[in-house]
Amino acid sequence: MRVNHRIALWPIVIAGATAAVGGAWLAAHQPEGRPTEPGLVLELVVGISLFSCGIASWRARPENRIGLVMVLTGFAWFAAELVEARQPWLYTVGLAVQSLWVIGLAYLLLSFPSGRLQGRRDRWLLSGGIGSAIGLQLLAMLYGNGAGVGCSSCVHNLIDVVHENRKAQGWLGLRDLLGVVVLLALVALLTERWRQASAPQRRAVLPVLITGFATVAALIWNVTSDLIGAPLGALPADVWFYTMATVPIAVMIVFLQRRLARGMVAGLVVELGEPSTAMDLRSALARALGDPSLQLAYWFPAEHCYVDGDGVTVAPPGADDRRGSTFVQHNGQPIALLLHDPVLEHNVELVQSVCAAASLALENERLQAELRARLVDLQASRARLVAATDAERRRIERDLHDGTQQRLVSVAMALGLLEARLPDSAGDTRPLIAEARETLTAALQELRDLTHGINPPLLVERGLGAALEELCTRAALPTHLHAELPHRLAEKVESTAYFFISEALTNAAKHSHGSEVRVTAVVSDTMLRIEVTDDGIGGASASGGSGLIGLSDRVEAVAGRMYVHSPPGRGTELHAEIPCA
Amino acid sequence: VRVVLADDALILREGLSRLLQEAGFQIVGLASDGDELVELVDTGRPDVAIIDIRMPPTHTDEGLRAAQEIRRRWPDVGLLVLSQHVNTRYAMELLSAGTDGVGYLLKERVTDLAELASTVNRIGTGGSVLDTAVVAELVGRRRSGDNPLEELTDRELEVLALMAEGRSNRAIAERLTVTNHTVEKHVKNIFVTLRLPPSTDDHRRVLAVITYLDGR
Repeated sequence: MRVNHRIALWPIVIAGATAAVGGAWLAAHQPEGRPTEPGLVLELVVGISLFSCGIASWRARPENRIGLVMVLTGFAWFAAELVEARQPWLYTVGLAVQSLWVIGLAYLLLSFPSGRLQGRRDRWLLSGGIGSAIGLQLLAMLYGNGAGVGCSSCVHNLIDVVHENRKAQGWLGLRDLLGVVVLLALVALLTERWRQASAPQRRAVLPVLITGFATVAALIWNVTSDLIGAPLGALPADVWFYTMATVPIAVMIVFLQRRLARGMVAGLVVELGEPSTAMDLRSALARALGDPSLQLAYWFPAEHCYVDGDGVTVAPPGADDRRGSTFVQHNGQPIALLLHDPVLEHNVELVQSVCAAASLALENERLQAELRARLVDLQASRARLVAATDAERRRIERDLHDGTQQRLVSVAMALGLLEARLPDSAGDTRPLIAEARETLTAALQELRDLTHGINPPLLVERGLGAALEELCTRAALPTHLHAELPHRLAEKVESTAYFFISEALTNAAKHSHGSEVRVTAVVSDTMLRIEVTDDGIGGASASGGSGLIGLSDRVEAVAGRMYVHSPPGRGTELHAEIPCA
Repeated sequence: VRVVLADDALILREGLSRLLQEAGFQIVGLASDGDELVELVDTGRPDVAIIDIRMPPTHTDEGLRAAQEIRRRWPDVGLLVLSQHVNTRYAMELLSAGTDGVGYLLKERVTDLAELASTVNRIGTGGSVLDTAVVAELVGRRRSGDNPLEELTDRELEVLALMAEGRSNRAIAERLTVTNHTVEKHVKNIFVTLRLPPSTDDHRRVLAVITYLDGR
């Protein structure tokens, strides 16, 4: 692509040089008595500036129309010089395109930096400009020769058919009036756009906007003082020539700056190569792209969506979204999505090279982000499992209490009644009934132990403190409880703590060979801290297939942590911390 | 003896009501929750209210709260709280306001007609009844350090438990098939060992004993 553009540029350069030489020759050989407004050198400076900067910008950003617009404006600029020609047809053409370059300037300012007009108002404005600079100019030329030059030595323009110079002057006045209106509208439109622009957008257009505004302001001033006489005091005629010469330079600087920005990619590569694990990839990319608002999201193949570093799903922006977006791929697979300032879309190459440089790091980060999201999912799923287990415990306990237990008690009551109503003659039946009742009582006792283990009523009804008191008095080993639990905690916290301690006490009784156990449960603002300490043989570990792994699972499911300290021969300490904020 | 009965389970309410009628008690009314019970007590003024501890709306300890309200408003109504769980804490909460005419039993204890009759009568006449399982838990509590219970003989521990259940000397003697005199000797010994103020009143001493056991 680039190579083709370079080849195509040569004829343009030659054509431009010819136009410049022609313009210079014409300016140097102009008929006598003409008002020699701008000097030859200034004419050349502006034209060559338009040409050379246009070509340089075109090469730097071949897909951007602005380079071409500048070159064409350069041609228009030199074409205006044709009014100095002595041949009537050249003179006529020169007169007709005298103000064409202003259209080029307006187009440039409106479309910078993308090279594309941004909607209907832009087109209306340009149409107004063309109407003024070409339409009204041609109309004036139909009426008279004096259009814009008004010199006695001038040749006649070929389309002067009406010969009414006063009317021609009227059309010219209208041309200038419309021109001023259009230029003012241009200033207003650009000002509004500036106020709505983001910081990177402003940075991108600032040099062009300043020089453009200066030129337009000088033009407005001059045309207005032409229109209404000179109460304003005319500016020195060549001020706007100077400013006009700087516009193409500003455009070129901006475009070349962007090329320089690609030097940032090298910095990024170095940064990515550093062994810092805490490097924030998003900030690094934001720095390289000069867009602090950059958002980075990673592709999650399983979910088929983009997710940012915090695990939040990010939707790619729609067509009318104000954010720009770039999809990053690695080996043909999507890995990330960049949401950035739309101004970066006009600098695709920079974004592409940054993404290419960072693609490995991005893939790395993507995997890590995926892992983090999986962990979040996993934690949520564990918590759900625990909640479901707790709910199921309560349901089973309730079912047993309301169903089986009550039926057994009622059978026992029926037996009691039967026994009371037995006639004295049925004496040998009584022992049988008594036996049945004893069996029933034993069954109820077993059921009671079972339901108590499943869901201790005190825990639900009076909270962790009361339930722990009961638990510790029932424990197989003598157990000292120190509890600081001034208020009820969340159900899952209380039940986790309860079953943790219950299991720990059972473990101590079974395996520790100790003589007593100490239990501590203290709640602070955000954390419930539990300790279960025995004076047994120690040597317990959470890594083996022991019951400790189950304890740790249970605690971790509610985002808590468990620690085991169990040196051989010196007892076992279990610590658990359960968040309860 | 006039009785009201509160249990949210129809099957148990009816079963217990039949048993009580069979035993010769007059059923003043049946309630299925705490509020209904309090109204019944207000209108019927029974001698004893028999209350299931777990009732609507929360199915936790409504029965206990209703019992405490009845005790506050009508102190001479006897209270027998029934539970499906051995819950020492609830038993102690119930007895803490005084042991006169108060009982706490597991539900299956009231299926024996003779036992039921004697229990309700004891409560109706100001006595107290505490479930064997609760007493066993109180006595069996393991605390390290100084423990005077260890100085008691097995027989004395048995007598202590029966006292805590609210039984009179005569009932204890019958249960253990010993003479009244022997029981009196044991009781005296127990009070001395536990350093409790001597009490001859069967009713009063229950409080002393369970307060001692609970406070250990």
